[in-house]
Order: sequence, then structure tokens, then C-alpha cells
Amino acid sequence: MSDKDLLLKVEDLHVHFPIHGGLMLRKVAEVRAVDGISFELKKGETLGLVGESGCGKTTVGRAIVNVLRSGSPDVEISGKLLFNSDKGWVDLAHLKRREMRPYRKDIQMIFQDPFSSLNPRMLVKDIIGEPLEITNPGIKAAEVTERVHWLLEKVGLSGEQALRYPHEFSGGQRQRIGIARSLATNPKLIVADEPVSALDVSIQAQVINLLQDLQEEFDLTFIFIAHDLSVVEHLSDRIAVMYLGSMVELGEAQQVYRKPTHPYSRALLDAVPLPDPTRVKTKDRRLLEGDVPNPINKPSGCSFRTRCPIAKPECAQNVPPVVEVGPNHFVACPHVDVDLLDQTK
Amino acid sequence: MAQKTASPSIFAKRWRKFKSMKRGYVSLQILLITYGLSFLLPFFVSNKALIVSYEGEWHFPMFGYISASDLGQERIGEANYRELKELYKARDEGNWVLMPLYPYGPKESLLEMDGTPPHPPSSSHWIGTDDRARDVFARLVYGYKVSISFALIVTIIAYIIGVSIGGMLGYFGGLFDITVQRFIEIWGSIPFLFTIMILSSLIQPSFFMLAGLLIAFAWMGMTYYIRGEFYREKSRDYVQAAISMGASDRRVIFKHILPNSLTPVISFMPFAIVGNISALVSLDFLGFGLPPEEPSWGSMVKVGMANITDWWLVLAPLAALFVTLLLVVFIGEGIREAFDPKVYSRLR
Repeated sequence: MSDKDLLLKVEDLHVHFPIHGGLMLRKVAEVRAVDGISFELKKGETLGLVGESGCGKTTVGRAIVNVLRSGSPDVEISGKLLFNSDKGWVDLAHLKRREMRPYRKDIQMIFQDPFSSLNPRMLVKDIIGEPLEITNPGIKAAEVTERVHWLLEKVGLSGEQALRYPHEFSGGQRQRIGIARSLATNPKLIVADEPVSALDVSIQAQVINLLQDLQEEFDLTFIFIAHDLSVVEHLSDRIAVMYLGSMVELGEAQQVYRKPTHPYSRALLDAVPLPDPTRVKTKDRRLLEGDVPNPINKPSGCSFRTRCPIAKPECAQNVPPVVEVGPNHFVACPHVDVDLLDQTK
Repeated sequence: MAQKTASPSIFAKRWRKFKSMKRGYVSLQILLITYGLSFLLPFFVSNKALIVSYEGEWHFPMFGYISASDLGQERIGEANYRELKELYKARDEGNWVLMPLYPYGPKESLLEMDGTPPHPPSSSHWIGTDDRARDVFARLVYGYKVSISFALIVTIIAYIIGVSIGGMLGYFGGLFDITVQRFIEIWGSIPFLFTIMILSSLIQPSFFMLAGLLIAFAWMGMTYYIRGEFYREKSRDYVQAAISMGASDRRVIFKHILPNSLTPVISFMPFAIVGNISALVSLDFLGFGLPPEEPSWGSMVKVGMANITDWWLVLAPLAALFVTLLLVVFIGEGIREAFDPKVYSRLR
């Protein structure tokens, strides 16, 4: 695969949030939210990023749109976030806010909470029009209005709703407004941070279908962050599973979903509730015990070993190497001998 | 449903709610109208004539000093227009003087009156005069303007400073936040009353100096609230969304965070005004406030205390103070109710 087909290359990304304490506010510890993640993103594909709460998937998304520094100025980001922009490859990870500005229009974000992601004091037309005004200073008001109406219709709302405030809409409608806002600047990459997990199930399906339609129409590339595997499977071409800041499995959606290889991915899939009660009884489900370890103080070696059903003493020694278990299917565990996994069942 | 005009904003809805609560709204109207009228006081209550017609020429003493001899009065210094009016009437030479409705000034000692001051209320002096024969009604209405102006100036400037500094602390955070907060804590632990007493025993403060002193000690309270609001609003997704679009700091602060952080400012303001009116009254009462000839309610209460048997001297300023503070509190109550975050909350 040549570089030309790639949109984003993440190389060994680390995001650490220092914790200050003591009288002199020295750094006493750090939260390693993202601890060495690498992946590539092809143009037009959807990468599903799954994992438990607190595993760093949202941080990966926010690192890509480069908003972490504004929230916590002392965050330490290392590694590379190479983005294939119109002007060639650029490393987003180390851009200052001003330097990042030309690439903002290409990378947009959809937020999880449709209630807090829209400014309650702005009209819908101003919310959707804002990215246009920022990226094209001096744009005519009529042009903005026209585009806002067009966008609203694209996401299944009507142009007349542009003159309302967010609190007059339902959760699903608000999420559509958020989607319209992210589309305003014709982005190439959209980071969707759990865009449906705050919605009712019936609305979830509508929004997911909308995202799929828009992807086809606008040739979008998605990073779809979720904790619900069934949602991710439906949308994604590839799935990356994260645990405690590291990626434990990456592969085609079908491979990961049908044949999860890393013990954590298997446990995650086993945790998906089944709608059929008889199958619940017959299926052998192994759910994880215990909690996710504290990311301030991670276990040595493989970070999953404390909850892993096939953990061995040497797992505490070294960070597990990434093994290619199938075509384009990578697993960060040297012990994933399929037979062994079956034995432990 | 077709909608051609924009929906009412949160502020518009809250304003409508405030207006629907009659007590607060009527209080606001009364205060606004009377305060507006108090700027026209020289036209209604003054010892200076509105128009003097002397030998066919019109003079407007309100806009400048006119010496008595220029108007044909045998007197040193400025003309006494009430006497002038009598004089012209007696001479009957076609000259005339148009006096305001209530022809007594707030700083003027009415030495021509019979008997010894204080004089009890009468038809010409509605609330009598004080121990220096100054008209109490004139002092009272001018004192209203002084009190409200003082409280408004102190409150608004202190809030502007408090919101700016609190906003910067919350927005930029980090070391800047920690250092400035410590400074505010140290500054806030300076005893305000003693400082003002010491300063005003050294120098007689003017109106603006006193306002400046109060502002210097009043701006800290708002920084805590605004700092917290900014911290909270900054972490909200809509601010993150604006940043991810490439919005500048200025845009993020003024368009996104500030409009969502003003609830404490608006709901505390009436009570801060009450506090600042009372602060001026107390300082004047203690004698550490405005110069004694200035018409202020605090010094009027002080005079009343010294002449406690002359009931009008005590009752008038206290009643005026009571009614004014009550009206402001009513406004505050209405605002607090209308801006209750549980109704039309920020996000839902």
C-alpha cells in the first residue's frame, strides 16, 4: 500500500498527563492515557476504536484533532501523528495552536454528549456557521445561511430550524446538528467520539445510517470511537481494540468480531448482551473479573496480565510483542495460541 | 412548522420571566425612573434660578457662576436668587426670576430663617432643616442620586475587574492561576474598614477616591465565582468543539464561555448594590466618608443621631434608605428567581 492512499499515520503515540503535587508543585506521577499506539488509516475507511471507559480511546481522538493542550497545557505528547494534507504530510502532534489552524478544516470531531456539545446561547445557524466563519474569514452572511440550510437538510433536519436554540431539539436532533457542524468545512477526516452512545437505541440506528450515507456521499474517513461492539461492527472496516492506553488487537472488522484473538477482545465480545436467552445459557461466556488497573500505576509487562485468563509469569517481565496472526490482523500477545485459548474455556 | 424569526434566547426567556414577577419588575421601574429623574434635579430642587431676566437679558445661573452685582443685587459673591426674586418683585422694573419648584439647595445653610435650627417641617421646608439650617428634603433627594451612583459605579467597576481577572484565571489556569489566587487571598485579608479609616483620616476622600477605595477591596469576591464558571465551561464539549474548529482565544472567551458564565454576576449584582449603598452610609455615618457638606444619607443619619429629639432628622434618611434597599432587594429576588439555573438550564 502506498502512502498516497493513506490519510493518517499514527506512530508510537504517547499522551501522558502529569500530576503535580507537593509544595513546589513538582510532577509526582503521570497518567499514561495513551501509551504507545500506532496505526494507519486509509482514505475512505472507517476505523472502529473500542475499549472500556478510561482506556484512552477518547484521548486518541482528541489528540488527533489536537485539542488536548488547550484543556491541560502541560500534557506530554510524543510520537507522530502524520496527516496527509493538501500540502503533503504534516505531523499534527507537535503543532502549536496557530500552526494547526490551516488543517482544522480537514479534521473535525463529533462529540459524545449532544447536550453539552452545542453552545446553549447560540442559534443553530450560528453553531453550524461558526466553522465556516472561522475557516473563511470574510465569508458573506448569505453564503453561510445557504450552506447552513443545505447542511441541515443533508442531516435530515429542515432549514427552517436554523433559527432555533439547541434546547428546542431532542437528543437525536442535536446530534444531527453536531454532525452538520462537523461537515460544514468539507472535512476529510471525522473523529466520531461515541456519537450514538448517549442516544436511544431507535435513534442510534438512524444516526448510524446517516453517518454511513454521509460517508458515501462526501467520501469521508471516520475514526469511530465506541464501547458498544455491535455498533462498531456495523460501521467499521477495521477495528482496533484498546486496553489501558495500548492497542491489543487490530484487524478487519469481520476477523476481530468473528474470531477475536487477544484474550481481552474475547472477553469484550463475550460481554455483549445476547438477545436470545437460550443462547445465553448454552454459550460459554467468560467475563472479566476485577477492575481496570489505575493508569497512574500500570502493571509491569503486559498491562492486561492482572485480569488475563491465560497470564503466565513471564507476562510481568516484558511488554508483549505484536504478532501478526492473520492477514492484516495484529495482536499484542505472544501466547495467543488458539488451542491454548480453547483449552482454558 | 415554518419559523421566520429566531426563537427567544435564554436571556430573553429569563427576562420575560422576570417581567412576569411584578414585584421585582415594578421595583426596577421605580428605581430606574427615579434615578433617571435625579439627574434632572437641578431643574426641580435647587437654590439657583432656572432663568433670570435682568434688563432685557436672559441669564441661566444653573450653567455657571454669576456674581450678585451683575444682577443688581447688593451682595458679595454669588447672587441669592430667592432674595433676588423678592427684590425684582418689589422694584417692579420688568425684571424677573424663574425659580425651580423647590427653591432650596442641598448644601446651602438657610441663615435667613427665623429661630434656631433645626427647624421642624413646614409648608416651605417639607422635612424641615438640619442643625446647620440646610433643607432636609433637598439633601435627601440629592443623597439618593449620590447613593445610587456610588453603588452602581463601585459594583460595575468591581465586577468588570473581578470578571476579567477571574475569567483569565479560569481560562489560562496553571501557574498564573495559582500565583494570582494567592495574591487575592493576601489582598483579601487586609482589613477593609481599618484601611479606609486610616486613609480617610489622613486625607479627606472625594467621591471618586472613596469609590476607588471600595473597588480596590470589592473586586475579589467575583473572581472566585467566575474562575469556577470558566473552569467548568472550558471543559464542556462545546468549547472543545470551538477550539477544534480553530477558534481564537478571544472568540472562545467572549462568544462561548462568557455568555454562559454570567449568571452569578447578574444574580449577585442587586445584592452587591445593597451592600455598597450600605457601605457608603456606614462610612459617612462614622465620618470616614464623603466631605460633610456633601448630601449623603450616612451623614444625615449622623446629624440625626446628634439631634435625636428632632425626629425628622432621623426618620427621613432612615426611611429613604429602607425603601431604597427594599426595592433593590425586591429586584434581586426577582432576578434570582428568573435566573434560577433549574429553569431553562444552561444545557438542556
